Amino acid sequence: MKCIALAGLVTSVFLLLFASKASAAEFAGFVKSLGGQATVLRDGEAKEAAVGMEIKAGDIVKTGVDGSVGLIFSDDTIITMGSRTEFVVEDYLFEPLEGRLAFVAKILRGTISYLSGQIEKLSPGAVQLKTPAATIGVRGTHVLLKVEP
Amino acid sequence: MAKFHLRQGFLAVLAVGLMAAGCQKNIVVLLPNPDGTVGHVTVANAAGSVEMDAANTATTIRDSETIPSTPAMMEQKDIENLFGDVLERQPPQPVHFILYFEKNSTRLRPASLTTLDDIVAAIRERGSKHISVVGHSDTLGDKPYNLDLSRRRAVAVKKLLVGKDVQAESIQTTSHGEENPLVKTADNVGNAQNRRVEVVVR
Repeated sequence: MKCIALAGLVTSVFLLLFASKASAAEFAGFVKSLGGQATVLRDGEAKEAAVGMEIKAGDIVKTGVDGSVGLIFSDDTIITMGSRTEFVVEDYLFEPLEGRLAFVAKILRGTISYLSGQIEKLSPGAVQLKTPAATIGVRGTHVLLKVEP
Repeated sequence: MAKFHLRQGFLAVLAVGLMAAGCQKNIVVLLPNPDGTVGHVTVANAAGSVEMDAANTATTIRDSETIPSTPAMMEQKDIENLFGDVLERQPPQPVHFILYFEKNSTRLRPASLTTLDDIVAAIRERGSKHISVVGHSDTLGDKPYNLDLSRRRAVAVKKLLVGKDVQAESIQTTSHGEENPLVKTADNVGNAQNRRVEVVVR
C-alpha cells in the first residue's frame, strides 16, 4: 500500500514537472513557408517540418539540400532559412506587458535572412544572432548571414 | 576509386577540424528595411568588433579569433548570388490593424467596419492561420470590469471574422484590459483611441 502511494506521489511529481515544463515553453513562432525538405529537432526528437508547425525556444531547425523555411515569430520577426542551413532558437521571450523580451538565435551553417520585429524595437540589445565566429547585435534592421561549411 | 575515397576522407577530416576550430568563414550583410530606413549592426568576437550602419555594407569574419573585416559595400549582384534564394522565399511581414469601439460597448465604430474588410482581405491573401485578436479598453471604470470588457470586444471581433468565413481555429483572442493603452491617460479617463481591438494577421 505504501509502495502504491509512493508510486502515485512520484507519478504526480513527474506529471507536475512535465506540465510546468510544457507551459513554460510557450509558442514563439511558426513555419509560414516551406520548400523542399526540413526538420525540427525538439527535446532530441526530429520531426519533419510542415507549414503551420509551431516553433519554440530550444528548437533546432535544419534544411536539406533543396530546403528552405520561412519562420514568423509572435513579435513579427521574420527568419528565412536557405538550403543546408541549421538554425537554433536559443532563447525567445515576448511578454511586452511584463517587459520580458529576448531573441537569441544561433546559425551553425548555411544562409539566413533576419528581419527585426517588436522585441528589437521595445528593447534594443535584446536581440543577439550568433555564428561560430561572431555575435551580431542588431538594431531595427534587415540582416543577411552566411556561415560557410 | 581509392584516390576518390582518400580525397573524400581528407575533406571530411578537414571539415571537422575547421568546425572544431571555429574556422567557418562568416559573412554579415546589412540591408535596408522594407520601409527604406537602415538600422545598425555590431559584429563582435574575441578579437574585436565592427559597426555597420550603411545599406548593403558587409563584413567577413574568418574565425572567432580574428577581428571582423572592415565593412565595405557589397555589389547588388554579389548579394543576389549569395542570398538570392533566401530573399526570394521570405514570407510577407505580418500586418497590424486597429478596430475602434463605442464607449463601454462591444459595438464597432462605423469607420472600423471597412477596416474589418481589409483584415479579411489580408487573411485571404496570406492564407493566414495565425491571427491574433487582442482586446483593450480605456481606464474609465475599474480594472476587472475593463479586463472583461476588452475580452468581450476581442470575442466580438472573432465572431465578426468567423461570420466572414474566417476559420475560428485560426483566431487566438487575448485581453489586456486597461493595461496597455495606445494613449497614456490618468485612471478613470474615457479615451476613444484606447477603446480598441488590435488584430495581427501573419
